[in-house]
Amino acid sequence: MIRLENVTKTYPNGSKGVENLNLHIKKGDFVFIVGSSGSGKSTLIKLLLKELDPTSGEIIINNVKTSTLTQAQVPYLRRNLGVVFQDFRLLPNKTVYENVAFAMRVIEAPGRVIRRNVPAVLSLVGLAQKAKSLPNQLSGGEQQRTALARAIVNNPPILICDEPTGNLDPDTAWGIMQLLDDINKRGTTIVMATHARDIVDVMQKRVVTLRKGHIIRDIEKGGYDDEA
Amino acid sequence: MRPSTIKYFIKEGFSGLKKNLLMTVASIVAVAACISIMSFSYCAVTNLQYMLDQMEDSIGISVFLEGEMTSEEIETMKSQIGKIEHVTNVTYVSPADSLENLKNEWGADEDIFIGFDDSNNPLSHSFQIELDQIESQDAVIQELNKIEGIENVEYGQSLSEVLMRVSNLFQAGGILIMAILGVISVMIIVNTIRISVLNRRVEINIMKYVGATDWFIRWPFIIEGIIIGLIGAIIPVIIGMPLYVKAVTLFYDYVPFVANFVRFRLTGDVYLFLLPASLLFGILLGVIGSVTSIRKHLKV
Repeated sequence: MIRLENVTKTYPNGSKGVENLNLHIKKGDFVFIVGSSGSGKSTLIKLLLKELDPTSGEIIINNVKTSTLTQAQVPYLRRNLGVVFQDFRLLPNKTVYENVAFAMRVIEAPGRVIRRNVPAVLSLVGLAQKAKSLPNQLSGGEQQRTALARAIVNNPPILICDEPTGNLDPDTAWGIMQLLDDINKRGTTIVMATHARDIVDVMQKRVVTLRKGHIIRDIEKGGYDDEA
Repeated sequence: MRPSTIKYFIKEGFSGLKKNLLMTVASIVAVAACISIMSFSYCAVTNLQYMLDQMEDSIGISVFLEGEMTSEEIETMKSQIGKIEHVTNVTYVSPADSLENLKNEWGADEDIFIGFDDSNNPLSHSFQIELDQIESQDAVIQELNKIEGIENVEYGQSLSEVLMRVSNLFQAGGILIMAILGVISVMIIVNTIRISVLNRRVEINIMKYVGATDWFIRWPFIIEGIIIGLIGAIIPVIIGMPLYVKAVTLFYDYVPFVANFVRFRLTGDVYLFLLPASLLFGILLGVIGSVTSIRKHLKV
C-alpha cells in the first residue's frame, strides 16, 4: 500500500529531515510513527502527503510512484489519503455537517451522495446529534471527531494522522483512538505520528521509531519503547 | 463540471466579495472609472467619425467659375472635372439655382435678397463636386486649380481637418488614460483577491488535503474577478446611456444650426457596440486581476 525506498529529504539549509528511509506499510496496517521532536515524523508525514518531494529515493503509494506525478495529478493521489491534524483545522463558519460535506463537495461528489454519506459518517463518529453545531460549540474531542469524519467521508484507503490526540485530554484521546481502531478494522490503513506513549503502549500495534531522520526501530506489535 | 459545482463557485465568489466589501467597492469603482473613460472616448471618436462621414457625403467641394459661360463651355468643364480621380459626382449649379438655395437656407431672413433676380444675379456659375473619401480632397483641389476658368475653390478642409485632429486626440488620449486606469484597476483587483485568498487560507489548505484540483480552488477567485469586472462595466453603461441622450439633446437645443450640417449617432447604435465591449473589457480586467493574484498568492 505504502512503500518508501531509500528516501532522503534534505532541506535547502542542508539539514536532513529523513535519511535513507525504507518502510513498507501493508494494506490494513495500523502503524504508529514515534520519536522525539525533530526526529523526522513531520517530514515523513509531509512526504506521504506529497507536500514535500524527496531529494532522493522513491515513495510508492497504491502502486503509484509519487515522483512521477504532475502537479495536476497530486489531488487525485490525495483522494486516497485522509488526513487528521492535531489542531483539527475545521472551518469555523461552517456547521459540523457542512465541514464534512465540504470534503465531498470539493472533489465534486454528486449532491445525493453527499446527502447520503455525510449523515452516515457523522453517526459512525457519534456526532449525528451535533450536525448543526458550529465548531466553537463543540468540545475538543467532538472537533477532532468532526475532523476524522471529514477525513474518512470520501472513503480513502489510507488515513494519515499527525498527532491527532495531542490537544485532547486522556479520556477524549481514548475515544478518538477507539474510533481509529474501528476505522482500521473496516479495512483502512492508518499511519499515525504521535508522542503519546501510553496510547502506543496500550494499543499494541506496529511501531516505527524515528531518531534524527533514521528508522531506529520497527516492531510488528508492541509499545513505545519495546525492542525489536 | 456539475451544475452544483458551478453554483458553489458563484456562491463562494460572492461570499468572498461580501467578506471584503471595502476592497470590492474600490475595485468596482476602479473598473467603472476605466470603462467610463473608454465609453467617453468611444462616444467622442465614433461621433466625430460619423460627422466626418456625413461631411464626405454632403459638403464636398464647390467650384466657382469666372464670368459668363456658355452651356457648351460648362459641359466641357464638367466632363473635365468628372475625369479627376476620386471625383464621384459633379453637379452644375446655375446662378439662379444658387440664389434660390441661398433664399431657402436663410429662410425667414430671405428679405435681404429682395431686389435680386435673374437680371442682376451677383452669383457665379458653379459645380458641386462629391468625392469618394475626404482624405483625397487635397489631391482633387490641386487638379482643379490647374483648370482654366475656375475663379475659386471652396471646400470644408479646415473643418474636416479639425474634426479629424480632435478625433485622433480623443482616440490617443482615451487609449492612454484607459491604459493607466486599466493598470490601476488590475492592481486594485489583485489586492482584493489577495485579501480574499488570505481570508480563506485554512479553507484552501483543507481543500488541498482532501484532493481538490488546483482549478477547483482557483475558480471562486476568478469568479470574484469576473463579478467585479461585470459590475464595474454595468455601472458606466447604466449611467452613460441616459447621459449620452441628455448630452445630444442639450447640444441640439443650444446649438440648433449644427443639426443642419451633422447629426450625432443614435444611442442604440453607440451602445450596440459599447455594451458588449464594456462587459468584455470589464470581465477581461477582472480575470487579469484575479489570475495575476492567484499566480502570486495562491500556491496550489
